[in-house]
Amino acid sequence: MIRLLPLLLPLGWRNLWRNPRRTLITLVVVAVGTWSVLIFAALFNALTTGSRDTTLRFLTGHGQLHAAGYLDDPSVSHSMAPPGPALRGALDAPPVAAWTGRVRVPAIIQSEYRTRSVTLAGVVPQNERTLSDLPKEVTEGRYLTGADDPGIVMGRDLAERLKTRIGKRVILMAQAADGHLAESGLTIVGLYAAGKPAEDEFVFTGLDTTQSMLGLGERLSEISFEVHDEGSLADVIAELRRAAPRLDVEPWMELAPLVYTIETFGRYYTAVWLLIMFTLMAIGLVNTQLMAVFGRRREFGLLQALGMRPRQIVLQVVLESALLVGVGVLAGTALALLTLAPFHQGLDLGFLAPGAEIMGESRILHPALGAAESLLYGAIIWLLAVGAALWPALSAATARPAAAMSR
Amino acid sequence: MTAIIQCQGVERTYTQGAVSVPALRGVDLTIGRGDFATLAGPSGSGKTTLLSVIGGLDRPTAGKILIEGRSIAELDAAGLAELRLHKIGFVFQSYSLIPVLSALENVEFILRLLGLPRAERLARARETLHAVGLTGLEDRRPARLSGGQQQRVAVARALAPRPAIVLADEPTANLDSGNAGELIALMQRLNEASGITFLIATHDARVIAHARRHIEMTDGRITLDERSSPAAA
Repeated sequence: MIRLLPLLLPLGWRNLWRNPRRTLITLVVVAVGTWSVLIFAALFNALTTGSRDTTLRFLTGHGQLHAAGYLDDPSVSHSMAPPGPALRGALDAPPVAAWTGRVRVPAIIQSEYRTRSVTLAGVVPQNERTLSDLPKEVTEGRYLTGADDPGIVMGRDLAERLKTRIGKRVILMAQAADGHLAESGLTIVGLYAAGKPAEDEFVFTGLDTTQSMLGLGERLSEISFEVHDEGSLADVIAELRRAAPRLDVEPWMELAPLVYTIETFGRYYTAVWLLIMFTLMAIGLVNTQLMAVFGRRREFGLLQALGMRPRQIVLQVVLESALLVGVGVLAGTALALLTLAPFHQGLDLGFLAPGAEIMGESRILHPALGAAESLLYGAIIWLLAVGAALWPALSAATARPAAAMSR
Repeated sequence: MTAIIQCQGVERTYTQGAVSVPALRGVDLTIGRGDFATLAGPSGSGKTTLLSVIGGLDRPTAGKILIEGRSIAELDAAGLAELRLHKIGFVFQSYSLIPVLSALENVEFILRLLGLPRAERLARARETLHAVGLTGLEDRRPARLSGGQQQRVAVARALAPRPAIVLADEPTANLDSGNAGELIALMQRLNEASGITFLIATHDARVIAHARRHIEMTDGRITLDERSSPAAA
C-alpha cells in the first residue's frame, strides 16, 4: 500500500480539481471550521486561565500557609510565628520559586468624607514583585518601596468611593494583637487597577508598618508561595505540611474554589464545544465525500476492473479526503494565527470589562494558542476527515464493478 | 489448443423486487489459448453479462468459470482484482480512461499497480502506445484525444501488462469506419504476434469477419459456435 502512495497521491490531488467549485467550497468550510475551533479555544483559554492567573498573581499564589483557624476567621488573633528553620528550609527548596510572608486582617479605612471596610495587607514589596502582578498594576503614583514604607496603596475604585486621591491621608483602623483598636494615619502613595472587587477590598502597606501598628512583632497572617512547576504542587504541599504540622497548608484550588471551578468547567465546556464542532464538521465531510463518491461510481468500478483491490480503492478515497482537509486545516490554522497575532499584547475588553471583572477576569485578555494545541486540534479535525471518508470509501470499494460501471 | 476460459453451466439472474431477469441461462463455453473469438447477439442477449462474469466483474448465480484451469469462485474481491491485474485486460465500449491522467499515465497506471520499476514501466508504456500508433500523443489527456485515439489508449492499457486474455465489449461501437478498421487490424496483429486470447463482444460485421471463431447468443444462451477462416489483417 505504501508503494502506491506516489501513484495515488498525485492522482487524488488531480481528482480534487475535477470539480473546482465543490473542492473550493469544502476547503473554505474546513478552513473556517478550523479557524473557529482554534479562535474559540484561544479565547476560552484566555478567559479561564485569565481568571485563574489574575487570582494567583494577585495575592493567592500557588498555595498558602496559615495558622489553624485563620481561614475561618482571618483576624489578627489567628497569626503565626515567622517560619522556623525546618519550614524555611522547605520554603527555600528548589521546587518553590518564591515565597513571602504577609499580615492580612480586616480593617476600616476612613477618608475625609467616607468610611469603608477593607482588607489590610502588610507586604514585603521586594518579594511581592516576584510573586504578584500588583506592583505592575499601579497606575498612579508608586508602589511601596520597602517593608517599612509608611505609605498606603489602594485601588482606584476605592479611592473614588472614598473621594480621596494620591497625597491625601487616610486613617486605618484594625484590631490589634492585644485586642484594642489600633489606628494609624497613612498617606496614599499609589493607586492600582485590578478589577473592581479587588480594588474595593484590598489596601497595601509595608509589612513592618502593619506589624508595628497591630503590635504583632514578627508574627504573620500568611505565607504565600509559588512553585516552578505546577505538577510539583502536591509534593510541595506535602513537604510543607511535614515541615509545619501545626499550620494550615492549602493549594490555590482550596483557597480560590470558585476560580478552580471556573477553570475546570471551562475545560469541560471547551471539550464539549469542540466535540460538537468536530461532529458537525464530520457530518458535513461525510456528506460531501458521499456526494463525490456517488458521482464517481463508474470510475471506481473501472479502477476495480483494471485490477485495483478494494482496499486500494479505500486508500484512494481516503487520501483525497485527507489531502482536501489537510489543506483546509493548514489554511484555517494559518488564518487563526494571523487573527490572533494583533492581540499578542492583549485584547482590551472595553465596555465588557466591568462584567468580566465581576467574574474575576482582567480587562485585558491574552488569547494565545500554543503550538501543541494548534497541532492537536488540527490533527483531530484531519483525523475526523479521514474517518468520515471511510464510509464513502467502503461504499466505493465494495460495489460490484459490473454494477458500478453500468451506471 | 489448451483451454484458457471455461464456462460450465453459467447462469446469471438479476432480481429486482419480485422481478427476476435471467441474463445467462446455463452457458457452456470453452475458449482456447490464443483464440480470436467474437461474441454476437441482439441487445439483451447476455454478451456483456458473459464478459463481466468471465472477467470477475460480476458473479454468476450458478455454474462455474475457470481461468487457466482455476475456478474464480474461490476468489474474493481482492483475488478477482489480482486476477484482472495479471491475467485479463479489458477494453470497454466507452474507452473508460482516467480523465486526469495523460495517455502515457493511463497506460502506466496498470504497470504501477503491478509494481514494475519506473524505467521498465515507462519503456513498456511508450512501446505499447507506439504499437497502437499513438507515438507523439503520450502527454495528452483523454479530453484532447479523438474517440479513435482514446480507444487506442484503452487497448494499449489493456495490453501493457501482457495479459493472457483481452475481453473487449463493443470496442468499435463509437468509432468511425476508418478507426474501427485500424483497431480490428491492430487486435488481430497482436493476437497473432503475442498469442493473447481475444474475446470480443460485438455487433460489428468487420470484427466478426476477422475472427477465427464466432459465437452467437440469444436470450442468455449460446445458439451458434463456429470456427472460420478470418479475413487478413
